[in-house]
Amino acid sequence: MKRTIELRLARAEGAIVRTIGLIERRGFAVMAIDTRSDASSETLVLRLEVASQGRPYDVLIRQILKLFDVRAVQLIESQPADARAAC
Amino acid sequence: MKGAAALLGALRERGVDTVFGYPGGAIMPVYDALLGSGIRHVLVRHEQAAAFAADGYARVSGRPGVCIATSGPGATNLITGIANAYLDSVPLIAITGQVATPLMGTDAFQEVDIFGMTLPIVKHSYIVRHIEDIPRIVHEAWNIASSGRPGPVLIDLPKNIAAGEAHGVTRLVEPQPPDRQPDAIWLSRAAALIAAAERPVIYAGGGIGIGRAVAAFREFVAATGIPVVSTLKGLGAVPTDEPLFLGMMGMHGTRASNCAVQESDLLIVVGARFDDRATGKLDGFAPHARVIHLDVDPAEIGKLRRADVALAGNLAASLAALHVRPDIRPWRDHCLELKRLHAWRYDAPGDGIYAPELLRRLSVAADGDLTLTCDVGQHQMWVAQHCLIRSPERHLTSGGLGAMGYGLPAAIGAHFADPTRPAVSVSGDGSIMINIQELATLRRYGLPIKILLIDNQSLGMVRQWQELFFERRFSEVDLSDNPDFAEVARSFGVDALTIDARGQIDEAVDALLHHPGALLVHCRIDPAANVWPLVPPGHTNATMLEGAMR
Repeated sequence: MKRTIELRLARAEGAIVRTIGLIERRGFAVMAIDTRSDASSETLVLRLEVASQGRPYDVLIRQILKLFDVRAVQLIESQPADARAAC
Repeated sequence: MKGAAALLGALRERGVDTVFGYPGGAIMPVYDALLGSGIRHVLVRHEQAAAFAADGYARVSGRPGVCIATSGPGATNLITGIANAYLDSVPLIAITGQVATPLMGTDAFQEVDIFGMTLPIVKHSYIVRHIEDIPRIVHEAWNIASSGRPGPVLIDLPKNIAAGEAHGVTRLVEPQPPDRQPDAIWLSRAAALIAAAERPVIYAGGGIGIGRAVAAFREFVAATGIPVVSTLKGLGAVPTDEPLFLGMMGMHGTRASNCAVQESDLLIVVGARFDDRATGKLDGFAPHARVIHLDVDPAEIGKLRRADVALAGNLAASLAALHVRPDIRPWRDHCLELKRLHAWRYDAPGDGIYAPELLRRLSVAADGDLTLTCDVGQHQMWVAQHCLIRSPERHLTSGGLGAMGYGLPAAIGAHFADPTRPAVSVSGDGSIMINIQELATLRRYGLPIKILLIDNQSLGMVRQWQELFFERRFSEVDLSDNPDFAEVARSFGVDALTIDARGQIDEAVDALLHHPGALLVHCRIDPAANVWPLVPPGHTNATMLEGAMR
């Protein structure tokens, strides 16, 4: 199942790599990344399309939230893989 | 003030008086600043030992341990120790030298990207880019390492930053918020589950000791009267001679503890994470049990086993609110009968030394008043099974990483954290060789640390698995060409004696408890001795292999 996760990160050295590395290490595949800065330029906004073969997203969200540079995490949508294939 | 002095000043503000390390080129400004700083530096003989010693220091003191290494190989040598602290949730500050910032990214001499290499095994990390940031980073690192679920933090310090002059400091950090408090509604649901349970078991993990929640945990056990099992790292949460304690669970757990868990209808999991060595085959683990999971780390709850009641937050606060005594006398009697029926036996045949008997007699003779540190392998499991352990900080073991070579440097760290408590490092003939150079550290500082080296002339745990699960095809486990360990110790200036007969156990125990300085007791045992019971890989904890005592 694919889901979209939106994160807000402090603009700190290694913040993006650390976050993506955690997601992959926990058994999720990062399929797409969209990044922008917020108005203050102190925060990065990442929108990630993430795929999992059955690992729970709620646990992943709690693992991401533990990272020091992460300010907020939000699961945006539910998009089953077979639904996309049918399009 | 120079950057290096700012670094040490910030550490002193946090009460740091001892650090463990090994100097080199890029970290030289820090070593220069150490002179006259008021901070004691313990020179180990390999950076891995610095990290393990800082880990041992932290586990005993409850405060972050600090280790220092230079860039390149010094930094990479720390990695195993950092990973160990990460997997066992130990607060650690690792400070590495780095090449000067203009050289970073140029493949300079002794340059490695230690920041990148350690990303998966730290709670957080920094490359210091501005001298003025140093105090903020040190205080922030301290807060991160020691708050919530503790862990290691890396500070990579380029040489020009350490040597440069600071002109002011950036803002200091906010105090770390306290652990979250448990939710009242979930607490009441947990209390209701406990009250209704017929076959409850308390599953104690390392989080109890790390969270300094031992007193609250013991009050909870006494109030509920529920039988207790523990993980490897949970040993000592209640004294191992506490009547309600059924023993360690899991792969080398006691029959009583594994049976009780498998039969239970409610598991109260406190500061544990359903590690595979504890659960065996997960989908057959405690198949009839509902789960109340208490942990300071919300990410552990539901990771491997769904919790019926999740209590994320401060363990002591949650436990204090759950003093419910269920009516479980028949179940309690059943568990205690299991414990009686499957009590350890020490009547091994022959005149050789039965290692579990030696370990038992040593810890009982000390009345548990020892800091026991372990390496990894069969001896580690025998310590866990047979030693009297009265609190978690008296049993230092590499639980998550399983790092051979941990024991001796951890004992060094433990000694500096609490010189009043005797430290005994139990090792094997494989493990001792990983950090044997630290015998020089014992000598250098006159440390009265004892080493009990259990020598079966093989990598015993691997040999055991090859015997049982690889059709006795023994591959690269024979260590019969070991050096004479007693002579090795003496060459480092450490006293030593060798024993190999049961009649020498009293002499060895007496020496381990009363010898005035460092001592290595080299104990030869039967090379074919195995650790029992054993849950085979891929099986549930209901399947426990047993074999002969040797």
